[in-house]
Amino acid sequence: MSDPSPIDPTDTDYADRVGREFPGGEYTLAPWRTWLVADTLLDDPWDEVPHPVLAWMAGVAGSGLTWDDLFAWFDASAEDGPMFGEHETTLHRPLEGGATYKVSGRIVSVERKVGRRAGAMDVVGYELDLHLPGAGGNGGGEHVARCYNSIVFPRRSA
Amino acid sequence: MTTLADVEVGTVIPPLELVVDGEKMKVMAALLADPNPIHFDTRALAALGMDERPVNQGPLNMGYLQTMLARWAGGRDRLLTFRVRFRGNVLAGDTVRAQGTVAEVRDTQRGRVATCDISLEVVGGDVALSGTADVLLEEAP
Repeated sequence: MSDPSPIDPTDTDYADRVGREFPGGEYTLAPWRTWLVADTLLDDPWDEVPHPVLAWMAGVAGSGLTWDDLFAWFDASAEDGPMFGEHETTLHRPLEGGATYKVSGRIVSVERKVGRRAGAMDVVGYELDLHLPGAGGNGGGEHVARCYNSIVFPRRSA
Repeated sequence: MTTLADVEVGTVIPPLELVVDGEKMKVMAALLADPNPIHFDTRALAALGMDERPVNQGPLNMGYLQTMLARWAGGRDRLLTFRVRFRGNVLAGDTVRAQGTVAEVRDTQRGRVATCDISLEVVGGDVALSGTADVLLEEAP
């Protein structure tokens, strides 16, 4: 019996991935973590309010997926050279040092584009939500933040 | 002295300029659990035919802009929304400048909010990030 034909991403429509939920998880803004993040930014590590970039970091770390897992949903790997496209953070309330956030996320868009120089590419949008623990939507309490991101997957064989 | 009460369309946010430190990028790679060697391994960069200076992480580039906005507005808790497009790389040793200008000021339920056009550029080079951000200037009474 022969092996199944390998998947050609340029011939595949990934629209059915829209709505796919990430496994989710939790992320704690431990003091050591908030201190080191501010320090890497050459910002004040002793500020009591965690740096806003931790909203994105918490979402990614608590999504329940590795980058390789996410790339594989789109038949891609790190070797294909996926790139950040856009990012948006909405903070409904400031982050709190020491808080543990429930993280949920999902794929929200997939769009095939063809650039004059870059050729075919899939632009995948996903969003990550942070909630405080408690009763409420997405298995958590108060909605603290949402991060939207897009990843560009080059499809060079097209 | 200019205060937040004086902010209007066209107000220029005090820029933040800094030199990107490759050692900090190594710490961020660990914090992100990001195994991509382009952020720390100069030998891997050479093998890829890239500039041997490590490539800064996207979150650090975003963070410089957020720091600029927070310092201007009086705290990290003042940032409401932050939107950017990634346009280019920043390398270890680059000097970057975070900058912004107020495009709109309006009253909302949360208080007086400024929408700002923002960008991060490599000094002597290209724009790495551009976008907009909403910042709370004054809490609603």
